[in-house]
Amino acid sequence: MNSSTHPYEQEVVMAYLDGELSADRASGVAAHLRECAECAELAEQMQGVSVHLANWSVEPAPASLASGLEAARKDRALPKVDRRKGIAGWLDGRFAPLRGRWIVGAVGAAAVAVMLLAVGVQNSRKESNATALSYRQAIESKQLLAPGAHAPAVAVTGRNYTQSTAPAPPPSDNASQMAAELYRERAQISENLENDLPASRGSLPTFQPAEPMIARTASVSVIVKDFGPVEAAVKAIALRHSGYIASLNTASPQDSARTLSATLQIPSAQLESAIAELKQLGRVDQETQSGEEVTKEFTDRAARLKNARATEQRLLDVLREHTGKVKDILDAEQEIARVRGEIEQMEADQRALQTRIDFATVQLSVQEEYKASLQGAPPSTATRLRNAAVVGYRSLIESVIGIGVFALQALPILLLWGIILFLPARWMWKRFRRTAAPQS
Amino acid sequence: MTSDEQLILELKQGSEPAFTELFLRYRERVWGFFRRRMNDAARAEELAQETFLAVFRGAQRYEPRASFRAYLFGIAFYILAADRRKSASHQTSAHVLPDEMPASSGMNQETTLCVRQAVERLDGGEREVLMLREFEELSYEEIAKILYVPVNTVRSRLFRARMALRDILTATPGSLGGRK
Repeated sequence: MNSSTHPYEQEVVMAYLDGELSADRASGVAAHLRECAECAELAEQMQGVSVHLANWSVEPAPASLASGLEAARKDRALPKVDRRKGIAGWLDGRFAPLRGRWIVGAVGAAAVAVMLLAVGVQNSRKESNATALSYRQAIESKQLLAPGAHAPAVAVTGRNYTQSTAPAPPPSDNASQMAAELYRERAQISENLENDLPASRGSLPTFQPAEPMIARTASVSVIVKDFGPVEAAVKAIALRHSGYIASLNTASPQDSARTLSATLQIPSAQLESAIAELKQLGRVDQETQSGEEVTKEFTDRAARLKNARATEQRLLDVLREHTGKVKDILDAEQEIARVRGEIEQMEADQRALQTRIDFATVQLSVQEEYKASLQGAPPSTATRLRNAAVVGYRSLIESVIGIGVFALQALPILLLWGIILFLPARWMWKRFRRTAAPQS
Repeated sequence: MTSDEQLILELKQGSEPAFTELFLRYRERVWGFFRRRMNDAARAEELAQETFLAVFRGAQRYEPRASFRAYLFGIAFYILAADRRKSASHQTSAHVLPDEMPASSGMNQETTLCVRQAVERLDGGEREVLMLREFEELSYEEIAKILYVPVNTVRSRLFRARMALRDILTATPGSLGGRK
């Protein structure tokens, strides 16, 4: 139908015949049907179709329909009126479609129960594995004593020298290999822990480690009479306990006692014995020990890490299956890069935290017992004169150099002002000469 | 005369006479609903009976959001769809429309068969809309709710069905006129 000649679509005409139009629109269509023979013919055809269909009748309903229904009704009494009200009634209405499907519900409940049971058994196994692989037991079973280990290189600079090593992993010696092995085992424990954690933080946390994770720190201050062998003894103690020296600094000031300060990383399980040996270096001036429980932090980080990995995987899946615009793909890739960065940052934090748990930090401070020495005899006159001559010579040189420096610095600007002021000064001088000459 | 909606609300309150009245009012329509769509008269009777039983049992959950007629035929349509699924899974012969017309039909047998065959040639979705409109006399909106389609879809399907039926019937003796 052409809309230029027929203001109403054919479907609208049909809707008018079915009584589906509003009163205003229906009157408009009715007026059009009176004027438009074509549309009136269409309406007549549609009514003819309805008449044909109306002639399709069926036989009357059998009498057995009523009797059978009555029999079926007697099997069930009419439901009680307002049997359930309030929330119970609402729930009854909401879950009514499931009422006749109790078998489905029973099967579903059984499946959920089996799943929960399986998950529980798996968790208990993983927890026992984590316990078996705990750091302390690993330390004890491997006997981490490393008597033949060599000391790391030391760089000497003047009177003070420092030694620095990377915090993790330790240097490549026997002790460091064992430490690295322990590190891997701890990582395995961490992975087990991550596997136990659900992906959603909403259901966290159901997992608790078998033993608390503690980052231990200690501080020992010792005063020794003989400072000479202290440094070697400290290195030997660190190596004996499979640890390493993170930093070491010695100072030998002229008129005060020599000092040594070092940061030692000792496996947590051997902290006590290492401190006992350090205390034997001399008289203990101060000793502190502290432990920070990081179980929650560790668990939380593992969960966040797992969530981030899951997010990354989902994004990768989306990217793989996506066939939309290039902009959407670029946005997805940008998001993946961001999540990847977060994952790497979290992994680094997690490794650092594991290092803090595995290796206790010992701040060692060794001070030599200071013995004041008598001042020697005063210098001779000749020495004093010579020193005075040297000082005078230095002052002379310094003065000459200072004048030269001043001249070089000020000369350019002086020349500039001289050029600028030369002509005015000359003019004023001549004028002064002219005025002075008649008087003379 | 008490309206259908009033009767179902009375049934909700426990009135059995209200159910009897509803049954008497809609017995032939519900029977016709199934009979026009099924070969097996006995099965059509069972499903009609099941429909009324569902109304009886579900009266407590009835909410007057739509007309009772739409509510009733919504249940009937659901039961019919379930039966069709079941029949399909059992691979029984489940024609949409009956093979033989009722002997008691007041219409000329030949004309009735012609109309039935014409309806049978329609597309499934269009046929269902047409039958719900012509025989169950449901509004476009009620049909849309039963079939879970937009109202405009109902209107367009109904229009196509009527036009197709017109064309089919035009080709037969005593045909309709046509505006092309």
